[in-house]
Amino acid sequence: MAEQILQDLQLFYPELALTATFLVAILADLIFRRTSVVVSGIVMIGFVVTAVLVLGQSDLHASIFSNMIAVDPFAHFFKLVIIISAILIVVFSLGSAELNSPNRKLGEYYALLAALTLGMMLMAGASNLLMMYLAIELSSISSYILSGYTKEAPDSSEASLKYVIYGALSSGLMLYGISIIYGLTGSLDIYTINQVLAEGDISGVALLIAGVLTLAGFGYKISAVPFHFWTPDVYEGAPITITAFLSVASKAGGFALMIRFFKVTFIDSSVVTLPEGAWATFEGFEWYHIIAAMSVLTMTLGNLVAIWQNNLKRLLAYSSIAHAGYMLMGVVVLNNQGLAAILIYFVVYLFMNLGAFYVVMLVANKTGSEDIEDYKGLGARAPFITVALAVFFISLTGLPPTAGFIGKLYLFAALLNSGWVWLAVVGALNSVISLYYYVRVFRNMYLRPADQPGPPLVFGKLQTAIVLVLLIPTILLGLYFTPLVQLAQASVKIFGTP
Amino acid sequence: MELFDVVFYVFAFITVVSAFIVVFSRNIIYAAFSLLFTFFGVAGLYVLLNADFLAVTQILIYVGGILVLLLFGVMLTSNVINVDIKTGTIQTVPALVLVAIVAGSLSGLFYSTWKDVSAPETSVVTTTPALGKMLMTTYLLPFEIASVVLLVALIGATFIARRST
Amino acid sequence: MSIPLHYYLGLSAVLFAIGVAGVLTRRNAIVVFMCIELMLNSVNLTLIAFASFMGDISGHVLVFFVMAVAAAEATVGLAIVIALFRNRQTVNIDEINILKW
Repeated sequence: MAEQILQDLQLFYPELALTATFLVAILADLIFRRTSVVVSGIVMIGFVVTAVLVLGQSDLHASIFSNMIAVDPFAHFFKLVIIISAILIVVFSLGSAELNSPNRKLGEYYALLAALTLGMMLMAGASNLLMMYLAIELSSISSYILSGYTKEAPDSSEASLKYVIYGALSSGLMLYGISIIYGLTGSLDIYTINQVLAEGDISGVALLIAGVLTLAGFGYKISAVPFHFWTPDVYEGAPITITAFLSVASKAGGFALMIRFFKVTFIDSSVVTLPEGAWATFEGFEWYHIIAAMSVLTMTLGNLVAIWQNNLKRLLAYSSIAHAGYMLMGVVVLNNQGLAAILIYFVVYLFMNLGAFYVVMLVANKTGSEDIEDYKGLGARAPFITVALAVFFISLTGLPPTAGFIGKLYLFAALLNSGWVWLAVVGALNSVISLYYYVRVFRNMYLRPADQPGPPLVFGKLQTAIVLVLLIPTILLGLYFTPLVQLAQASVKIFGTP
Repeated sequence: MELFDVVFYVFAFITVVSAFIVVFSRNIIYAAFSLLFTFFGVAGLYVLLNADFLAVTQILIYVGGILVLLLFGVMLTSNVINVDIKTGTIQTVPALVLVAIVAGSLSGLFYSTWKDVSAPETSVVTTTPALGKMLMTTYLLPFEIASVVLLVALIGATFIARRST
Repeated sequence: MSIPLHYYLGLSAVLFAIGVAGVLTRRNAIVVFMCIELMLNSVNLTLIAFASFMGDISGHVLVFFVMAVAAAEATVGLAIVIALFRNRQTVNIDEINILKW
């Protein structure tokens, strides 16, 4: 046993590095109480080391710690998305005026950021219901605290309270679902559960109810309707760096967990008459209908409500709900092509969404406002930044020649190939709606003069460089996307599935 | 009716009635104290189900930890001298309907799925050694991760509740 | 053990329903946390009932972890309630349904 654990530890280096980062950051915060530069440096180094260790894990195919965590190309891909966004968020945080106010200590902030990242990385690999629950809770509890970090702002602690209550409710629902699954199959290990289900004679109704209850926990993490209620308030009230992190990495973790859960547990691997790369559900338990309904509701509600928003953070919150809806379409098609499309979409979404949030943060640093009305005349005051924001928004809409177009293209191709025409049409209509509210921002930036003309906004070289780091992939991946597609297609391998 | 059955019904009655008081009482202090009885009732049921270790843990964590924490929360945010602390309107009818629907459908589901399960003929054994062995072998990783979760909660709660200077 | 399994499960379903109803209808944050504890207790009861009728220990392990995490969640939740109370006391206390000092 001990030898086995030591062996497994070798495949667990990235997570160990993150845990060490978390602990060292706490200790450093105790020693260097005055300044948070040391802690932010430690966390930054820890994240970079973790990223290097994650990169070294490509093409592994193993299950470690008695099947608690799977180390496979699928988890590897999501870990990369999570750690890259974590590094970017540390960079964002260093330049955030909202966070770096004179009497705020940021030691705990950076330490908890490491814990949050650890939770998300565990979500990417968890393959036991108990481990899934713990990973979700680790990332949830850290994000409750981080979203209430600017606690003197009343809406920050209110957002945090709302987050905790919805989080606790949905984890309660998920646990009830898990307990029913345990009662039906007698195991918490998803591979064993799959075997028991494959033997048949499990009550379909009970399994369906358990599945829906469990979905509450995942739906909450990816903010899918009807588990999205917390999203707008938390995204608006939390510090913008945390909002950006939650909108990308937390969704990535949630999607990884959900896809692994459904793909391993509820897929009948004994069916052999399938085309290459397609999956089959158990007879009498066609869960993908529920996901399809959830996907339609999520994107439609997200886009329709976004039209009425005047706060850009809130607008981006609804837009991120809509994007979760688009990505859910990739699960519905039940094949590896759809799965690869989701992975491609995530990389694209990482750059365009973080980019949009970063520009909003830069503008808020200077003007102190996130209101769309205050973006009037901004095109003349800050030409580079507004052009970048326009590109990110065009990409979020999914228009060529940006990366967002490629993401949507692969999703729709997967849908049309497997005959889900109506869902593709709903998705396309939704993209048209989303154009409307993004154009509203363009109109204010370029066509409307400001009520009181202000001085030009000047940004430092570093800030411009960070915008470029996000902007270049957003455009480049729209033109040259072969490596990304190849990586995604190689990363659909999930441990324990054919 | 055996003694075992009587004990089950007594604990079940305590649990359900006190849970109702938690949800429908207007006085938050009454709610907190009846939660105490729910926790004890559930702990009693654990004993009937042969879960000795967890019954003790239930009392230590829920009564000794969480309930005390909740009472502190009540006292830090209310007027303690005024015992009659109202907590706003309660939509009794919709809540009762909701309870009836959820409980009815779930019990129906459980009855139809598990009505034929017979009790195993096992003698009373302690679960503690087996549980401890599991925590140190199969569930070693979750055990370690749980310590990270607790550390995060500890640091976070002190940070959030601390008065900002 | 002459009480059949579905009695325990039915009891846990009632407890769960009461908890859910409380979370959805009550407005006081602390009472909502109490109702969430009711839900978690119901989950634990279900798990232990299954575990002892199947003679399997892993359900017990899950309950152990649920208890630990529930304590962590309650701690953070109450800390946030206190922070919010501190804020709103000066801003607008009627917004949260708790009487002030």
